[in-house]
Amino acid sequence: MAGLNRREFLAGSAVTLAGCSRRRAGPPALVSIVRRPDYTQELYGDLRRVLAEHRLHVRGKRVLLKPNLVEFEPDSPINTHPVLVHAALEAFRELGAEVTIGEGPGHRRNTLDMAEAAGYFETIPRFEEIFTDLNLDRVAEIRLAHPHSRLRSVYLAQAALSCDLLVSMPKMKTHHWVGATLSMKNLFGIVPGGVYGWPKNILHWAGIPECVADLYRALPRHFAIVDGIVGMEGNGPIQGTAKRAGVVVAGRDLAAVDASCCQIMSIDPAKIEYLKLAVGDVEELVGSIHQIGESVQSVRTRFELMPEWQEIAERRA
Amino acid sequence: MVSLLESQNHDGGWPYQRGGPSWTEPTAYALLAVIAQGPVGEPVERGLRWLCAAQLQDGGWPPQPAIGQSAWVTAVAALLGPAALGGDAYRRAIRWIVRQTGADTNMLSRVRQFLTGGPQSDTGWPWYPGTSAWVTPTALSMLALRKVARSAESPQIAARLDMGAAYLLRHTCADGGWNHGASRTLGYGARSYPETTGVALLALSGNRSPEIRQACRWAQAQLPGCRSSEAQSWLRLGLRAHGQLPPDAPLPVLTPRTIQNTALAMLASAAGRNPFLE
Repeated sequence: MAGLNRREFLAGSAVTLAGCSRRRAGPPALVSIVRRPDYTQELYGDLRRVLAEHRLHVRGKRVLLKPNLVEFEPDSPINTHPVLVHAALEAFRELGAEVTIGEGPGHRRNTLDMAEAAGYFETIPRFEEIFTDLNLDRVAEIRLAHPHSRLRSVYLAQAALSCDLLVSMPKMKTHHWVGATLSMKNLFGIVPGGVYGWPKNILHWAGIPECVADLYRALPRHFAIVDGIVGMEGNGPIQGTAKRAGVVVAGRDLAAVDASCCQIMSIDPAKIEYLKLAVGDVEELVGSIHQIGESVQSVRTRFELMPEWQEIAERRA
Repeated sequence: MVSLLESQNHDGGWPYQRGGPSWTEPTAYALLAVIAQGPVGEPVERGLRWLCAAQLQDGGWPPQPAIGQSAWVTAVAALLGPAALGGDAYRRAIRWIVRQTGADTNMLSRVRQFLTGGPQSDTGWPWYPGTSAWVTPTALSMLALRKVARSAESPQIAARLDMGAAYLLRHTCADGGWNHGASRTLGYGARSYPETTGVALLALSGNRSPEIRQACRWAQAQLPGCRSSEAQSWLRLGLRAHGQLPPDAPLPVLTPRTIQNTALAMLASAAGRNPFLE
């Protein structure tokens, strides 16, 4: 992996000083792309290096890791792999953070049972003690300023609101309603099912891409680590098939990370509605991204898309 | 039972996880489970006081007192019946449930609904007002209304029960059971879930439709490999409601991970009884 040059250092420092993870005009958005073909021990070193690249100052801070748990299918690439989550946990702990894990699945309500089936109990020591079911957590009502969706306010899980850094850890997947589900869409898991039910249908009625953009804006202190080692293509996010992309993608700006993931998946990020709503000019965002580690071109692969989503495929000259 | 009583909060309600704030759903299930065990005691009285204080003016219950909106948990609270809740609180809850229908995203259906002034003939219940109908809130609302229908005849309630049954029967998955309610998405069939299949079967107790036999077969096949206490409880309750729970079925021992799952496991274990249908 390439070391940081002066430009990367200055860009990272500027974002840190601003205390804001959202993309802004000026410095490039740093996105790390790590080539990793399997869920091996090397991931622990990978994540330590990634966090160092992004100069995260988390000593004494509360960090919430938010993986994507969807179904009871340990052999399917449907859930974020527990080894990646454990590697992130260890890496943040080494930086002095107080790390917890939380998730609020959208369809099934037996979250801890799903976590056990997905191998989280086996992989992460004392998992149950550091885990919060975000569907059943304390809630607080958040007013949405200038929302894209029809929502004017929304109840969110307190654990996600009170942490100093929310780390979105999705699986890299295609999605039958929004094209691709990545770190921004993964924020649906902080909307409590205990209030809105399973599925969280209020988000569908208010507009899925619009709600993704609203949640992205409502939660400014975030970081993304995307599990693209084995992703899902086709009829995602549940019934698709495994797609080995062999990458971990990470960065402070969820939109920049998701745009990079789209490019890796051979999807045109400018055609993803929630990215357009969240950042306006997606091409400008893409132009501002500075990749650390691998380049998009060197890891790009083709994720199969459902017929309804063929128009988002990247057209390359 | 001891574990359930020990997890009661000082305010009288029950949390989802021990030490958390009181929520309507675990409180209602805990009360159902404790009451089913025997004579009413002090924990039940405190629990009922908490629950009755949480009821909103419109007759419904919010998921948690801090939330100012009645929602799906009203059906769970109403399962406690008039003797526990008091006649007036119970009647207001039932009226709230009868008023709720699932909104329809289909424009043609919405126009038809607007012109006829009434709900569709096969609408179920939503989790949250103003959203679509789904399997679990429909089944829970039917269970609450069935309790009323057993003691008093009401054409309005009978009609809603018929509509709920029609909704459930229209939303079976191709494999025979139910998932959350989207049996097909963009033309692709979706798989059933054990917990939603169990609660739907329970709500359809007494229904002789061909879909029920298929759903029972699917539910029976799920029981031995079930990986969730909640799912196992609903499957047992649903199958027992149709006389299809194998008497000697070897069931895996599963740990209930929330208070409401502990209560559900107790309700499912009530030998020879089905507290939801009494």
